[in-house]
Amino acid sequence: MGKIHVVTDSGSDLSLEVKERLGIHVVPLTVQFGSEIFKDGEEMSTSEFYTRLKNEIEMPSTCQPSPADFVAMYEKIAQPGDTIISVHMSSKMSGTYQSAVLASTMLDSSVTVKVVDSKAASMGLGLVAVTAAQGVQAGKELDEILSDVQHTIDHLQVYFVVDTLEFLKKNGRIGMASALVGTMLSIKPILTLVDGEVAPFEKIRGKAKALKRVRELVVEFQEKFPEKKIRAAMSHATTSEEATQIAEALSRILPLEGEVLIGEIGPTIGVHTGPGVIALFLFAM
Amino acid sequence: MDVINGVTLKNMLLVAARNLDQQKDIVNALNVFPVPDGDTGTNMSLTLNAAVKELERAENNEVGRLTTLLARGSLMGARGNSGVILSQFFRGFSDGLAHVKGEATGEDIAHAFDSASKTTYRAVMKPVEGTMLTVARVAAEAAEEAAEEGADASAVIKAALLGAQKSLADTPNILPVLKEAGVVDAGGQGLVCIFEGFWAGLTTSPEEMEEILAEQGTPEKEAVDFSRLGEEVLVNKYCTEFIILGEGIDPERIRAELESKGDSMIVVGDEHVTKVHIHTDHPGQVLQFCGDLGNLTEIAIDNMMLQNQEFAHHSDNHRLDYAIDNVVGFPGVAEHSAAPKGVGIVAVVAGAGLADIFRSLGVDSVVTGGQTMNPSTEDLVTAVNSVHAESVIILPNNKNVIFSAQQVKELVDKKVGVVPTRSAPQGISALMYFVEDDSLEENVAAMESGMGEVKTGEVTYAVRSTVAGDLQIEERDIIGLAEGKIAVVGSSPDDVARDLLRTMVDDESTVISVYYGADQMAEEAEDLSATLQEEYSHCEVEVYPGGQPLYYYIVSVE
Repeated sequence: MGKIHVVTDSGSDLSLEVKERLGIHVVPLTVQFGSEIFKDGEEMSTSEFYTRLKNEIEMPSTCQPSPADFVAMYEKIAQPGDTIISVHMSSKMSGTYQSAVLASTMLDSSVTVKVVDSKAASMGLGLVAVTAAQGVQAGKELDEILSDVQHTIDHLQVYFVVDTLEFLKKNGRIGMASALVGTMLSIKPILTLVDGEVAPFEKIRGKAKALKRVRELVVEFQEKFPEKKIRAAMSHATTSEEATQIAEALSRILPLEGEVLIGEIGPTIGVHTGPGVIALFLFAM
Repeated sequence: MDVINGVTLKNMLLVAARNLDQQKDIVNALNVFPVPDGDTGTNMSLTLNAAVKELERAENNEVGRLTTLLARGSLMGARGNSGVILSQFFRGFSDGLAHVKGEATGEDIAHAFDSASKTTYRAVMKPVEGTMLTVARVAAEAAEEAAEEGADASAVIKAALLGAQKSLADTPNILPVLKEAGVVDAGGQGLVCIFEGFWAGLTTSPEEMEEILAEQGTPEKEAVDFSRLGEEVLVNKYCTEFIILGEGIDPERIRAELESKGDSMIVVGDEHVTKVHIHTDHPGQVLQFCGDLGNLTEIAIDNMMLQNQEFAHHSDNHRLDYAIDNVVGFPGVAEHSAAPKGVGIVAVVAGAGLADIFRSLGVDSVVTGGQTMNPSTEDLVTAVNSVHAESVIILPNNKNVIFSAQQVKELVDKKVGVVPTRSAPQGISALMYFVEDDSLEENVAAMESGMGEVKTGEVTYAVRSTVAGDLQIEERDIIGLAEGKIAVVGSSPDDVARDLLRTMVDDESTVISVYYGADQMAEEAEDLSATLQEEYSHCEVEVYPGGQPLYYYIVSVE
């Protein structure tokens, strides 16, 4: 019986420490500023990215990894008889999942690839990948790991606050939140993901109020599952002090399973959400 | 006069409408708060005029037919709280005369006044004494007493008038806010004007009225003295209305230009579409001036002196307000080919900037009005009907419009919910909680709780001297109101806005919004917001052009 490997993409926003500790492999997307192309995390760091995002007039874009990129990763890590769980960003937001599916058909049959649509992005995807990797480390059977992964996907609740809807809109990732565009007031919408797509959750005026509201939503989430431990993660494109503060507040409110995973939103997601984003991911174990 | 026939009844109502129209500025000035939007007189006058226009459609002068038209016309034309209450007065009056065939006796009239009084009380949820309700009741009681003593129709009306006048004089003794402000109740004064008109219409035959109207002269605007009525002569006989379509139209400039050309002037709209209504003797000059500003459309000129003229299209003209939104073609209003939305929204907003903000937040139809001009119930009915949705939420955004908005429920086939917003910021706050896919009931509940998350402040000027609590206020002083109550007084709008916000902002506040009025410069507003941002570093300060008339600033804190 071969080994089980976990692969995800750079839309997962997992920190280097978590990736190394849990042995999660990441296939990078590419970020394009004009004619310049960079591999996320390998050829461009997160801080470089936000500096350029602020200074460049032209909107950057992302490009999914090619099936060949996935084939190269799969062949590098797997021996004949091994299994790969390849979890990726919502297929409604990115073609990455599709590339991985194509790649899986291009391998010889000695390696099995299970490609999973996380219906999420950023640390939501990160949590799904972590669930898979922890299952592997705990020595669980493939079927049990896949069922844990599906449970995480089905029960994940996402809230995120963006400074501006401009980036989501220009990159065509705004989904059902398009109704919020064009408002003349400065509104900090709380957004969510519904079936893998961005959807409006609530309209709030002012970021401070929006974050206050997110905290209330965390309490409401816990009240829905009084008996359960809750797993939480957050990702951000803001100061790490602010992120740490929110994480500490979270651990005070919630009976948490494990630490609050904190990820910085990298270029892959940052292209679509812009600066100042704070995202929260919760699920009841 | 022993009995009253239909012709006399109609005459009474026509004279009452004239009298109220002449005295509406006096009634307007009786506002408890010295803010420039005291328009009780205008609202009552427009309501009665709508009813009278309906009367002119009568194919015969049967009392029953006339009173039915009176009730309907006043209901559809009702503007503002006082207009709605007045429409209920006429509804009750009409019910009280429903059984009369031919001629009404003193007893019938007394019964009608009693029915009118009772209906007005039923119309308000919490009747307050010392208001027009009391005046209506005391008048009815006096009429009843006279009828019981065998008085004829004219004596009953005289008794009612005397009762109303006595009751009006007593309103400051019943309602302390009136005494403090040194005024009698405005709605009560309006009602007294109507009773005065009834009495005059009784003793002045239609022929004599014709003679008086045929003479030209200057009305005594200051005259509260009823005895002058017989000498009054109607000027500004042409009711002139039209819509200007163009670019960069400035309603304020039109107002300033037309002010000297007539009275009863209403200029509403924005830089693209503006509706003008004015009573003038020089409709040509008015049209010429406005024709230079853009394309004129929906032009209607009526000679108000020719009483028997068919005013059919005139009665329909409130619909034009709502045509405005369709003309401009806001999405979702004109495109009726698509499937109807579940829940649509109508908002009453004064000011082009605020109107744009409300539209950008998903409002389907904006009814212009609120501060200077309360929309009529019919205006709201038309707007609700113009929204392509199965049910409609109305945001009145003004305490004086909530009542008319609630009347709409009974007048349309759609399901209507009213979120009782009392200011534009409350309306905006409520809209944050609107979810298109939710039901009308869910939305109304969520929006009602959401509207409370914001505090509203307004900066305007005092239209007369008064005392509010510890504050001595002189006419033309700049005053700041927090949640509708005078909180600060000063001499500059910017300083008053700053002082006002000091009473409103606390440590929990996160957002301060400043909507500057039609007469404010963007630079002034930006300067104000910069100093506010400095003072309240824990808040986000946002500034928007509101374009509202009369109010230098509307501010909100949340």
